[in-house]
Amino acid sequence: MIKNIRLAYSMLSPSLIWLLLFLIVPIVMVTVISFTTNEGYGGIIYEFSTEAYETAFLSSMYLKVIWNSIVWAFIATIICLFLAYPFAYFIAHAGKWKNLLILLVMIPFWTNLLVRLYAWIILLNGEGVINNFLMDLGLISDPLTLMYTPASVILGMVYGFLPFMILPIYSSIEQLDKTYLEAAEDLGANPMKTFFTVTLPLTFPGILAGFIITFVPAVSVFVVTDLLTGSKLVMVGNVIRDAFLIEMNWQLGSALSILLMVLVLLSVLVFMKFTSSKDKNFLV
Amino acid sequence: MTSENMVELKNITKKFGKDTAVNNLNLTVKAGEFLTLLGPSGCGKTTTLRMIAGFEKPTEGEVWINDQQVANVEPYKREVNTVFQSYSLFPHMNVFDNVAFGLKMKKTGKEEIAERVMNALKLVQLEGYIDRKPKQLSGGQQQRIAIARAIVNNPKVLLLDEPLGALDLKLRKQMQMELKHLQQSLGITFIYVTHDQEEALTMSDRIVVMNQGEIEQIGLPEEIYEKPTSKFVADFIGETNIFEGVVTNTQNEYADLNIDGVSIGIPKTISLVQDERVYMSIRPEKAKVSVTKDETAHLNGTLKEKIYVGSVTKIIVQLPNGREMVVNESGDSLRDVKAGNDVYVSWQPEETVVFKD
Repeated sequence: MIKNIRLAYSMLSPSLIWLLLFLIVPIVMVTVISFTTNEGYGGIIYEFSTEAYETAFLSSMYLKVIWNSIVWAFIATIICLFLAYPFAYFIAHAGKWKNLLILLVMIPFWTNLLVRLYAWIILLNGEGVINNFLMDLGLISDPLTLMYTPASVILGMVYGFLPFMILPIYSSIEQLDKTYLEAAEDLGANPMKTFFTVTLPLTFPGILAGFIITFVPAVSVFVVTDLLTGSKLVMVGNVIRDAFLIEMNWQLGSALSILLMVLVLLSVLVFMKFTSSKDKNFLV
Repeated sequence: MTSENMVELKNITKKFGKDTAVNNLNLTVKAGEFLTLLGPSGCGKTTTLRMIAGFEKPTEGEVWINDQQVANVEPYKREVNTVFQSYSLFPHMNVFDNVAFGLKMKKTGKEEIAERVMNALKLVQLEGYIDRKPKQLSGGQQQRIAIARAIVNNPKVLLLDEPLGALDLKLRKQMQMELKHLQQSLGITFIYVTHDQEEALTMSDRIVVMNQGEIEQIGLPEEIYEKPTSKFVADFIGETNIFEGVVTNTQNEYADLNIDGVSIGIPKTISLVQDERVYMSIRPEKAKVSVTKDETAHLNGTLKEKIYVGSVTKIIVQLPNGREMVVNESGDSLRDVKAGNDVYVSWQPEETVVFKD
């Protein structure tokens, strides 16, 4: 037994070392920095200070930005869920086309999100494709403000993170044992009832996984706001980046990072609690 | 419920691409009957069952359940329930909710559901397990829940797809008897699929032996065992000695069959023509081996091996034509006979079964 545990640890050690070096150490560093004193020009004075947290909490701007980020990311994630589930369901039942369709979902990943968001600028712009088209049709006389709005931020996030939602849901639907569906049908459940009583509960782990891996990167993204609102709207990602790179206030950047991490963790826990309160067994 | 016939399959053919799983099959199942579809894997028995359940649509032919053509009736509207090979209990529901599922779908009242679920669980002796999840139950218990989940709906027909396949031998034997008694007390028509011939013989009112998508033989268990009509059935059901030979004389009470130089008298149960090639089958327990020649003796040979298997001893006799024959002996009359000794094999000619293919 002890031998096996040693073997297990030795085989795990590359990933454990990786996690230690690139996850645990940075988090500790960020935490430490967040409690140091700001030298003014980007330097760090190693004296305990809670100034960064005071700034973060006392200025309503930072909390509002974090709140906006969470709300926008949450809305985008929910939209992703409703778009992704039917699509994943369709792919899982597409027979020989399955692999091709999955490839199509993956292809956008091969291009940087930055480049793909530029394409949206061309579409959404005042003189962009959509506005020109609508004006040519005579449906509108003045260009619509499609960019620079929270809606455009959410659109960009949905567009960028949809595959993150599709893949885990697809995998859970694909792995669902089809005899459960036959059993439900055999017992008198029509396709609709079969879906809500059997398919949906049994694919819930995929939904949960999709939610987390979509929501978490969406909260901290900053390229979407940069490009689709020309930095007129900011998310917490923008604020953290600016704190580090422009204001040279590493303490504030670190404090905001820690704050974000805690809040994201809390919102994921709340989501899990909320969605699994009725039947905890999905998660077992 | 006016008709005697609960399920009728009329000229059913099912093709998967180029493969024919079931070929022009005709079958009538009577109300209250325990009918078994028996055959090796790939013989089309499960496909036939799935067409009755509605999971597969026949390529050609008609399925009738309780005097209604159901070709276009979806599975969830058919008055049949299935016990699946893998049980397929819903893993996210406890035992009560699993068993109640069918009744809830029919919008049965809460109190009636509770009462019927508890009755069904009582039948399978698991009424104390309502709060358990399927994975907290043993294989045998899951099997019982699967049965309870099906019978709670009072189906016209219960379809069982190798339901005992995953259980160990002892539990399987016990469940065979329980299922048989359950079927008798409920009076529900059972259509049971298995590849286990012993299981089929034990439980069934009638057995349908299938091979390569077609019915080889339909009959009572005794008929299937004692009077197989083809080499396939004789070979598939139980253990037997099958010999191929040429009919040499049809004039006497028994016809003569020449098996590679050894002549054996066979009953004329089927029409036999001079010089025709036919098969004969004799069960190991119908023949006996002796050291002295008596008047019923058919063959002489050499004792090759004695294999003790508990209830009987299997005697393997080498015949002069090079063939081997297995005979079951239950006494110890051959205790002193050793391998290499000359012996005689005898049986009543009426015990021989003759068929053409």
